Amino acid sequence: MAFPLPRGITASEIAFLAEMETVTIVPRQRLEGLELLGGPVEALVPPRRASLPLWLALLLKRQRRANIIPPTWLHPEPLSLILEFESQHQDYKNAFSPPPPLPGQPSILEPDVIPSARPQYTPDGNRYYAAPPFLPQNTAQTVTTSRDPLSLPFHWVEVGNMLLEAASDDLVDPDQIRRLLKDLREVRMAKMRSGVDVLDAAATGGGGVSLTGVGSMELGEERGFITGVVDGLRRIGSSKEQARREQMAEQRANGGYDGTQDDEEEDYMEF
Amino acid sequence: MDIDDILASVDRGPGASPDSTALDHQLLTRFWVAERAVSEVLPWPAPLMERIMDRVRIQIETIEDLAASSETTLPTTANTHNPNLNLRLSILQTDLARTQYIVRSLLRARLAKITKYSMHYLVLLASRNKNPLASQTQSTASSQNPNQQPEDSVPDISTLTDLAPLSEPESSFLHAHQTLLAGHYAGSFMGAFPRQLRRLDDNAGGTSMIQGPELREVVFVRCLGAEVPVVVGGADEDGDETGVTMQMGDVWVVRWEGIKKAWGRGEVELL
Repeated sequence: MAFPLPRGITASEIAFLAEMETVTIVPRQRLEGLELLGGPVEALVPPRRASLPLWLALLLKRQRRANIIPPTWLHPEPLSLILEFESQHQDYKNAFSPPPPLPGQPSILEPDVIPSARPQYTPDGNRYYAAPPFLPQNTAQTVTTSRDPLSLPFHWVEVGNMLLEAASDDLVDPDQIRRLLKDLREVRMAKMRSGVDVLDAAATGGGGVSLTGVGSMELGEERGFITGVVDGLRRIGSSKEQARREQMAEQRANGGYDGTQDDEEEDYMEF
Repeated sequence: MDIDDILASVDRGPGASPDSTALDHQLLTRFWVAERAVSEVLPWPAPLMERIMDRVRIQIETIEDLAASSETTLPTTANTHNPNLNLRLSILQTDLARTQYIVRSLLRARLAKITKYSMHYLVLLASRNKNPLASQTQSTASSQNPNQQPEDSVPDISTLTDLAPLSEPESSFLHAHQTLLAGHYAGSFMGAFPRQLRRLDDNAGGTSMIQGPELREVVFVRCLGAEVPVVVGGADEDGDETGVTMQMGDVWVVRWEGIKKAWGRGEVELL
């Protein structure tokens, strides 16, 4: 067997990805800048703050060479606000709270702004849009300039747990944070389960189910179940889909395509 | 691609600037996650992997040099000039191990898919580079060959130049693997079959014996472009027929065939 793992990254691989998130630290000792394969690391000069990948920050923290400044969202107040939003807000009864916007994406407070994705270019000339874990979603912001509502980053479960485990003395009221994280997870898990009804939409060609705001670990937990259910539904509906496709091809051949056949694909639902 | 894209792609030389190190690392990570998430083998990113492997090689040399210098300076009193040497070494080694882990996991995931669908990829490679005359003589010869063996159904791909989606070592592995497997089948049970039943790519009765990856399986994607429509049907259709439209920052459960082209353009990310 070349590779025994199932399709889709596993929980430990998700944690590995989360360790690439950038966090803010206060170094306790000097260290010259390093050229790593994951990109250069700035020189550490106490007491100046520095941004490092989480794995490196944890390595330094475990050796008592640095203190980690908790991410803006990993404090009791923002977490309880998000929890309240997740559990009380009418519009988000069946949906996750909105994720932090990507670069160029307007915040939900300005729905009229047109999103403008700003790609970088790879050395091969392709477009590249940055996404978690390579966005500064877990750094500590000194000034809260953004008017964006508080939001949970993509790797919130993993980053939260890793910091609670390795750097609980750097967090504000770690017990309260642990409790809030647990509550958040339960509220969101219930939403994930209640959304199973709409999975049928993902089983049709061109259709899909929106999971916007989901966390990486939550996705990893449900991946096997969702793909299993959707693939089962697809097999059951495959003959129907085939018939519908043939019918549409026939209509197109006759010149008249009235678009009513699209109804089934349009009824996506958020959960 | 407009003029800005072209200019930007020319701007980035082949040099190993720190910027491109970080970018390549992000590209590798994203490609690894994508390769783990889908059931087919994705196109081999040869330039990217070359750059990564070059950097890994250089990094190993750097680490060896550092380790050697620490050994030679230890007995003398001069090692106090760099008290951080061990820390730097352990950081560099951790970073190297993380990158090597991704590369290894990526290659093994590809090998697993190649061995699972070996006949599918062999036939795919051979059919795209088919010389109509040669295949005709081959098929007539094989149908009349009284000593038909399973090995005969393994297409010869040694002369091909277009190996996409595989890399060169992967394709030679694929051919060697399938030849061995066919020989084993012949020795263990297929040799006892009537000779018209000995082919591994038999498709008598309308059922093909070749198993390919299921492109209709659902995947989890994040939309990175401003808007990405999900295409109904696969690449074999005309592709102007679309279903739901994903907005920037959204996470969706959709069919892989529906967003495969958008993934190729870098507008969606597999999760």
